[in-house]
Amino acid sequence: MDYPVIEFSLLGNGMVIGLVAFIHVLISHGVAIGGTAMMVSLEYRAYKTNNKRLDQFARTLSKWVLIVTTTAGAITGVGIWFTTMVITPASIGSLLRIFFWAWFAEWIVFVTEVSLLLLYYYTWDKWKGAKKNIHLRVGYALVGFSWLTAAIITGVLAAKLTPGLWTETLSFWNAFFNPTYVPSLLFRTFIAILLAVSFISIIVKMRVKDNALQQEVFGVFGKWMVVTIPSLLIFGVWYLFKIPEQAYDQVIWSTGMEPLVFTTINILGLAVLIIYALWAIKLPKKVPVILVFIVWAASIGFVGEFEMVRESVRKPYVIYDYLYANGIPASKAEEFSEEGFLENWTFATVDEVTEETKYEAGRILYEAQCLACHSIDGWRSRRAFADRVAGWGEDSLADYIETMHISRPFMPPFVGTEEEREALAHYITSEVDQANGEVAKGGDEQ
Amino acid sequence: MIFQSVPVDLELAIPGNWTLLMILLVVSFLMHIVFANLTIAGAFYAVWNEIRGMVKNNPVYDQLASQSATMTSIFKSIAVVLGVAPLLLVSVLYTQYIYPATIFIGEAWLNLLWILIVAFLLLYLYKFSWNRLKNKGLHLTIGLIGTMMLLIVPLIFIVAVVSMLYPDKWAGAEGFFHSLFYYPQIWQRYFHFILASFAVTGLVMYFWNKRKLTQRTKLHAVDGKDEVAATTENVKEDVKVYEAGKSFGMQAAFWTTALQLVIGPLVLFSLDREVRLLYLGDDVFLTSLLSISTLLSVVLIGMLFMLMKTEAKKWLLSSLTTLVLVIGLMGWMRHEVRESYIDPHRAENPPTIEQQPIQIGDMMIE
Repeated sequence: MDYPVIEFSLLGNGMVIGLVAFIHVLISHGVAIGGTAMMVSLEYRAYKTNNKRLDQFARTLSKWVLIVTTTAGAITGVGIWFTTMVITPASIGSLLRIFFWAWFAEWIVFVTEVSLLLLYYYTWDKWKGAKKNIHLRVGYALVGFSWLTAAIITGVLAAKLTPGLWTETLSFWNAFFNPTYVPSLLFRTFIAILLAVSFISIIVKMRVKDNALQQEVFGVFGKWMVVTIPSLLIFGVWYLFKIPEQAYDQVIWSTGMEPLVFTTINILGLAVLIIYALWAIKLPKKVPVILVFIVWAASIGFVGEFEMVRESVRKPYVIYDYLYANGIPASKAEEFSEEGFLENWTFATVDEVTEETKYEAGRILYEAQCLACHSIDGWRSRRAFADRVAGWGEDSLADYIETMHISRPFMPPFVGTEEEREALAHYITSEVDQANGEVAKGGDEQ
Repeated sequence: MIFQSVPVDLELAIPGNWTLLMILLVVSFLMHIVFANLTIAGAFYAVWNEIRGMVKNNPVYDQLASQSATMTSIFKSIAVVLGVAPLLLVSVLYTQYIYPATIFIGEAWLNLLWILIVAFLLLYLYKFSWNRLKNKGLHLTIGLIGTMMLLIVPLIFIVAVVSMLYPDKWAGAEGFFHSLFYYPQIWQRYFHFILASFAVTGLVMYFWNKRKLTQRTKLHAVDGKDEVAATTENVKEDVKVYEAGKSFGMQAAFWTTALQLVIGPLVLFSLDREVRLLYLGDDVFLTSLLSISTLLSVVLIGMLFMLMKTEAKKWLLSSLTTLVLVIGLMGWMRHEVRESYIDPHRAENPPTIEQQPIQIGDMMIE
């Protein structure tokens, strides 16, 4: 808290962070980690079987790994930071204070990773023949360092949901090696392989005309999938057993699906992966195009589900037990409710609620406490007040706000005095009425 | 708007020795900024030389441009990853200042993301399509758009790091475009940076082409006799490119460094009077920093001039060393300027250096 507020009304603030983060997850896992591993394992296979065409395919892959990771991959990575910095500054600021040295180490690993990738790409044609061995070793190191980037950042991501002993000791190591660290890291590792296999399969199907080459690549991928599918299951279940009970109860809810739909979709997704693996091993010559696309969609679906669940079930916290999703430290809630929130907020333009300042005070409270997840209007109807509280009236909304964290455990409590709570209800209802009024008017005109 | 401007610092303490972190900030920023210099000016030189090649119908300039485009695509990847550490450190050490500063220009700040992605992709396309794309005009346009986009990037960063120095002015700021002319220092710093990019990249270009030339002529001298005529032709072509690169890099480094003698003082005079006077006698240490770096810049110009005249190795080495020193001093002074501005605010809004007891869940953690 205590920072100025910005609103991205088109997408909604939460969606801006989510969008950049999701693109980054797809690239960092699917291309930087998994893609690199696949590229090097194809080069290794080409070397062992003396297959020139496979070597050339791996070389082409390396060009695309280089282009994608050093543009959209790297920039969306920094982008998660850029977006959180302006949208949820208190959360990212606190995380940086807890995990500074992890991020610093991450920096050194990043620089090494990019240097190795540049070396790997630009020496492909130079280090041939007897020197191919050195090239492969650069490749192994590259795979190791790209995995290490995940090994470090996973400590931070997992700690948001399960800070473990950190909440008693404030120790960096307790926060880093938290209860979900190992299962998340292993789960992410295999998610990376799954994504890479599904991305590259499409490229193979669409761009590689040579049937023998297709067969070689799918053969390698089939083997990878045999290890990947059971690993995903084992580590996924292990992860679920390690998250807090309240979070566990929210898993299915957080996806917005009915339990039956959730189960069916996940089982179907898994079945598709198994079919793909069997097909790639038994009939690598004839992997159907449609299957490749379904696997691609399923793997993106799994990643999206995992990230959405992980980010949703930690609610109402952004750092479990310490910081609420809107950036207010849980410990300050009581103090601010007694003294008044506006009084304590640096960027407040009014510091008490009067008849004249009621609307403005409400606006400030809305921006400071709701905006991190909600919007007045917008396309995400679960988050938009214009849908959620249409026709509620100021008083019932004010009453609801008082106890919403009890009836809806994933909501942080409102922090402020009674007058401030009424001001917030006043602001939201006026804005919602206006938004809905305009929609109705627009509808009439049509 | 009326508000007390500087936010209260986070409850969690800054995780490390203050001085050590400050040193890491200055050093890691310098590492990042040198590669940022090389990226921006590299892209500009590629486009510039491609145009020269087209206008003079001389393939040597075109090949020189292609060399710059390749180098740029490598440097930009390093510049981005090197930037992580200084951004991390500035966020941790100046939390109360840099966060509001970026939030006030939030839209431009997030626009940086797609600007960088698109610019980098265009510059890859520019590089990889150099010999394949037959339509030279289209090829040039791709590079030109990429370069123009890159030129916007430092401006957004400069607005962020300058506006963080002026908490008293925050209430009157109205977004990025307004801030461009609302805060002092911005354009002066921008041109100071751009000129430095041209100079650093020029000298690196000279150095690189001189090395290549030596390697090429040595190789040629060893097995030149056995080479077929076509290869000899290639060597001749390459030598022409390296010669052109040397001459272009040298000229660029010399003239842009000389121009800094005008821009540098403009930066100094864009600072608030009290801060400026610290560098003009009020503070012995800061005054010495400024004097030494100014003196070294003049010496550098002299050395570059001698290098142009004689091409002697000793002038190249001494120029490079002096350039590194000047860059180091500039980075340090830049940090001191920030400290001079922020110090008065820090007294009133102290950062959390020692961890105070904090409450987590139901427990008070000592």
